[in-house]
Amino acid sequence: MEWQGPGAAGGPRRKFQWSLLLWSLVWPRGGERMVPTMPGIVLIGLSFGLGTAAYNSSSNILFITLSLLLACLILSGVLSWLNLRGVAWRLEVAPPWRAGHVANVGLELRNGKSFLPTYGLWFELVARAVAAGGPARVESTITGKGIDVRAALKKAAEAEARGSVALGGRLDPRDAARLEWSFTPARRGRLRVELAGVGSLFPFGFLKKFVGSELRAEAVVWPAPVEYRRLAAGGARRAGGGERMARVGSGGDLRALRRYATGDSHRLIHWKASARTRQLLVRQFAAESSEGLALWVRTGAEEWPGREQFERLVSFAATLAEDLFRAGRLQTVALDEAAPVAVRHVRDLEGWLDRLAVVEVRKDSVVGGAPAAGGVRAPMMGRKNLLTFAPDGAHGVAAYLDGNKAAAT
Amino acid sequence: MAWQHISMETKRPQLSPDEMQQLRWLLGGALTLLSVVTVFYLDVEAWTLMALTMLATIAVLVRPTWPARVPKLAHTLAFPLIAAFFLGDLWIKGEMLPAMVRLDILLLLYRSISYRQRRDDMQIIVLGLFLIVVAGVLTVSLAFAVQVMVFAGCALAFLLAITIAEAESNRRVRPNAPNLGEPPRWAVQLDWGRLGTRLQAVSDWRVLVLGGVLFAGVVAVAALLFLAIPRFQLENSLFLERFISKKSRTGFSDSIKFGDVTEIQQDFGVALSVDVPDAALAPASPYWRMLVMDEYRDGGFKLSAALIHAAVAGERTAAALLGTERAGAGAPAYWTFYLESGVSRYLPLPGRFGELRFREAQHFRPSTELAVVALVAEPATMTAYRVEGMTLADALPDPAFAARWRKRDPSTGADPLLQRRINLGPEDREILGRLAAELGDGGAAEFGRMASAWLMKQHGYSLSPQIPRGAGDPLVRWLASREAGHCELFAGSFVLLARTAGYAARVVVGFRGGTWNGYSNNFTVRNSDAHAWAEIWDEKRGAWLRVDPLAADAGATAKEIGADGAALARRTDRSWTARFDSLRVFWYRRIVNFDARSQEETLAAVKTATQNTGRRAREMLEHAASALRAWLAGPWDARRWAGVLAVIAGGTGVIWLWRNFRYVIFDFRLGRRGRREDPVRREAGRLLAQLREGREGDGRGAAGPEETETRAELQRLRFGARETWREPVAVLRRARGVARTLRRRGR
Repeated sequence: MEWQGPGAAGGPRRKFQWSLLLWSLVWPRGGERMVPTMPGIVLIGLSFGLGTAAYNSSSNILFITLSLLLACLILSGVLSWLNLRGVAWRLEVAPPWRAGHVANVGLELRNGKSFLPTYGLWFELVARAVAAGGPARVESTITGKGIDVRAALKKAAEAEARGSVALGGRLDPRDAARLEWSFTPARRGRLRVELAGVGSLFPFGFLKKFVGSELRAEAVVWPAPVEYRRLAAGGARRAGGGERMARVGSGGDLRALRRYATGDSHRLIHWKASARTRQLLVRQFAAESSEGLALWVRTGAEEWPGREQFERLVSFAATLAEDLFRAGRLQTVALDEAAPVAVRHVRDLEGWLDRLAVVEVRKDSVVGGAPAAGGVRAPMMGRKNLLTFAPDGAHGVAAYLDGNKAAAT
Repeated sequence: MAWQHISMETKRPQLSPDEMQQLRWLLGGALTLLSVVTVFYLDVEAWTLMALTMLATIAVLVRPTWPARVPKLAHTLAFPLIAAFFLGDLWIKGEMLPAMVRLDILLLLYRSISYRQRRDDMQIIVLGLFLIVVAGVLTVSLAFAVQVMVFAGCALAFLLAITIAEAESNRRVRPNAPNLGEPPRWAVQLDWGRLGTRLQAVSDWRVLVLGGVLFAGVVAVAALLFLAIPRFQLENSLFLERFISKKSRTGFSDSIKFGDVTEIQQDFGVALSVDVPDAALAPASPYWRMLVMDEYRDGGFKLSAALIHAAVAGERTAAALLGTERAGAGAPAYWTFYLESGVSRYLPLPGRFGELRFREAQHFRPSTELAVVALVAEPATMTAYRVEGMTLADALPDPAFAARWRKRDPSTGADPLLQRRINLGPEDREILGRLAAELGDGGAAEFGRMASAWLMKQHGYSLSPQIPRGAGDPLVRWLASREAGHCELFAGSFVLLARTAGYAARVVVGFRGGTWNGYSNNFTVRNSDAHAWAEIWDEKRGAWLRVDPLAADAGATAKEIGADGAALARRTDRSWTARFDSLRVFWYRRIVNFDARSQEETLAAVKTATQNTGRRAREMLEHAASALRAWLAGPWDARRWAGVLAVIAGGTGVIWLWRNFRYVIFDFRLGRRGRREDPVRREAGRLLAQLREGREGDGRGAAGPEETETRAELQRLRFGARETWREPVAVLRRARGVARTLRRRGR
């Protein structure tokens, strides 16, 4: 991710113009703002009082005190500028994140100044869900008459997490630091983490200075895991006609040889092959399990009219997929009419979770009927060991293995 | 990540949150101490409070756990008690400003003995600033300038420490208010020696130097703002002085007992500074008249009620006073006087004047006849006034008295306005008559000389005179004896003798002499220059003649004005005290006395200086250009060609040497200083950093082979053994080219 901030190299450089500088004092650049703190308000009040008294009394002592106060205010601005000069920052997001679990956002800082340290910065971060359908329609005061503004604002506030992290100590010149912001994503989906602004009270705490930032990063939040119960009838049944597994595991059959890597057990070294090829080779065995399950999630609106129940479905599907993969029994996954995807590696599972993270109820679904009652159609039609989902009561979700209820939340 | 973390070995340590709290505690205590010392020069009765606050502050600085021992009840009752103290103080003493000062010190005392949070620290700054500003406004002392600078520096450091400490605590858990009865951890662990060592360890000299430069910048900007702030004269001054009453510390009041002036002489503080328009006009032995006293009664002189009624005008409020003299031709000559507070409400003036102008409106009572001006109230601050058309002479013309003298009844001396009454018994009159008869009757001037000579012959000079015991008037007893005496006895005796001889005479008090400050070119008159002398009415000249029996050089009184360069040179002071006094005069001239007129003068001076500098620069350029043209137009013979070619060759050679061998030269020069300062290594490190930044800014993916190779060569120069270096100059040149390319791409 790109560095941003006053010290970021390579950004577009504006040609210096006095008129721009003066105008920026009147109309600060985007996102920049300065708010006087309580000591700042006291200082301004003191300055006004002293100025009034100075003019009233013609006392040069008061004039010189007033001048000193104003000079201190100018020094405050200069030091604040020096403090931010040469500082650059960038976001580091490290998915996977999971709804309901703590997520960490890294903020890397560096101070490019040659000998001046940087103090007392804080960073305001916001994480908000990326709307699936793009930005909302532009409303005017005329068209937006019917909109409940409070409710809309409340909804927007609920959909975002705000927080700040502070650079507590000193960031030395030519040094870097890493700050972490932890928050808990409330729901699955695509999440945009933005650095809303960089604030500073440095040096004297008179003014709270904010520098705007356009730094943002996107991450996917996987569905939250759910508790479910396995039902003996469905789980105990041994399905026939399922596909054979062909992936690396800890079974007894030799599947392949590969180069030795640090940490491999010496017992796995294939000495004969190693001697022949003059490099250390270790044995790879096939997984123990032999039969895999196919998992099919359908998102039709007629099947999942309730939002809450749909969310439970997604979480249940994700949890089940992870558990089955961990047990070595997950073979393919499919979403609605999309082609099934084989799950052989962790990245395949992650891809599936990524898809589940952003899946929405389909209004135009062609897949209809409960699997237990009506059966299934292409592309998963006719498969054995197929796990499907259907509502279970008003709130619950049940998983069906070839039409038999196998697990429920 | 390309950015390099500094290794733990080279990284400077940071102060822990506890150490930041300790620093805050120290700076808060320092600000408290710095604020309360204003009581030393602020004339307010708060010595006990000041001593208590200083002791308490020092005690809690040394033992920071002690505030935890203050009982909770004391904290609960603190503010009601302080408010009650303030109201009681105001009610009993009736003076608002001193009561506010004492309240301020009390609040500082309370804050210094309790653990503080951010807002309490802010209170210390505001309370301290209030004390210093009040003291500055009331005293306009040079000490204010020093104090406010130190206070500003300390307060800025304090605010900086607060901001950094708050940022530090934001990262962790915000500290709660300290529990009463339990000292915080930082207080328990406080060790000033260790904190000093830690501060030394965390400080970078470059940052400290920059901090010093920035603070100097603050002072410079404050000075510029002070000069540039537009001034308006609202004529509504004295706003703080209303809240405080002040009494003269010296004895220059309406009446003087014998010994009062001598007492003033014990004080060596500066009483008056005078800016003279031209050193040539500076009198060699000036007399600064302040008060005229005509009535002798009960062993002391005073200004009689009759004379006040007849000669002193009513009270008026104005910024200017017209005198009797008329300005001469040419540019007006101004004498500027800076009278220190606590000296007197009578303004020292060496003679009659054309116009007297104050810096701001004043309440005063002038007397044209006596040539004195008295402020109505004792000034609480230094009083500055500018006098135009000053006349200096040993004779003071007085047409009003001359008219009164001509109309006198020679048979009686009862008219008090004639200033020849002697309120003495017959025995004393007889003694005086006998003595006056010895002095003859050759006119006022002659009588003055004779009487002075006689007094000097009869009496020696002493600051601790002995007046003989016995009956009758003490002054007459002293006059009749041969005891030594001080100026008041001499002046008083002369007046009695002159009046006995039939002349009008009076005592005048003020200052005599002073030193000429060789640094600031002004007169500095000290309290030790306080003096009393006499004036005798000379009917022929229609003027009061000054008679000073103690004048060391009788000729000096006759020839005072100008031209006595030798006398002035003798008075020139170039000591360290004079240096300090020159600072005070600078403060008065440029800061305290700065007004709209000074602002205009300063702007005019800046404009003139700029124009002069520009003109001189243009002249120099024109001169250089004409010289070059003349040289070029000259005959180009072989010698000239040889010279030109030699200069070009020399310049080229120097450039070539610099480009190719500067590292070798530096290496030779710095060879003994070790590896850290090797210029090749330093340059290689600098270029490596540039390449690193350029790479980050480029954003075009991986580095090319040339860049990679250059970086490797630079790393060899930076870290490798010297023996492995390959043509360092060429490597550095190539690296500069690569860095330039990267920079260009980054833009």
